[in-house]
Amino acid sequence: MATTTNYSWTTPDNTAYVKDGASAIRTLGSSVDTTLFTALGGAYPGLRLVKKQTIGSAVSSVTVTSAFSATYEAYKVIIAGGACSNDNSSLILTFGSTTSGYIYSYGVFASGVAIGDGSTSASGFAAAGQANTNSLTFNMDFVNPFLSKHTLVSGLGGYNLTNNNSRIAYSGVVPNTTSYTAFTLTPGSGTLTGGTIYVYGYGAS
Amino acid sequence: MPNPMIQIDDEVREMTDEEYAELLELQESAPAL
Repeated sequence: MATTTNYSWTTPDNTAYVKDGASAIRTLGSSVDTTLFTALGGAYPGLRLVKKQTIGSAVSSVTVTSAFSATYEAYKVIIAGGACSNDNSSLILTFGSTTSGYIYSYGVFASGVAIGDGSTSASGFAAAGQANTNSLTFNMDFVNPFLSKHTLVSGLGGYNLTNNNSRIAYSGVVPNTTSYTAFTLTPGSGTLTGGTIYVYGYGAS
Repeated sequence: MPNPMIQIDDEVREMTDEEYAELLELQESAPAL
């Protein structure tokens, strides 16, 4: 029986009968499936790009739909590039149509100064990211957004040019059991132009 | 004066009055760092 070079998958000989074709294809398909699963480390392993969204021009909010699904339980969201019309504006994060009950806290570490803030009943995750005329800063993990469990967020919020603050350690929770598929980013002031929102899923199997 | 622009996926359009009211409420409650 003929086999492939690298993984020795069985393929039909030139003299094999046509009547055995279905079985031969099934055997080859199973071999490919097994090899891929082993080589990749699972069916959906690693960090996989599930949504890429370019921010438009002078928009007051950006909603990313179909970001979460049953395939992944946890997500990484990063923004690269982009700009805000105002310096030292924040990025407010909301999930779905939920506009209350957000709980969060964060610490801001400047040169020789540490300050913090938070809320137990906010209309969104305030200062989940930062927005300046030079760039947008957003780098967070979301856990459970699609599951009927509390949605958890954590990450590094960014920096503030005027006050020279940086390293914003941020964590929060939406303490409900809503299953979300979308999230929205809204600048605390000004509008957003350009930049790319990347949504990655953490492989679960 | 038109309402601000809102983006959902690739579509950019003017906010409805209700959406604009929600935006103002959200921004007012958000502290600047």
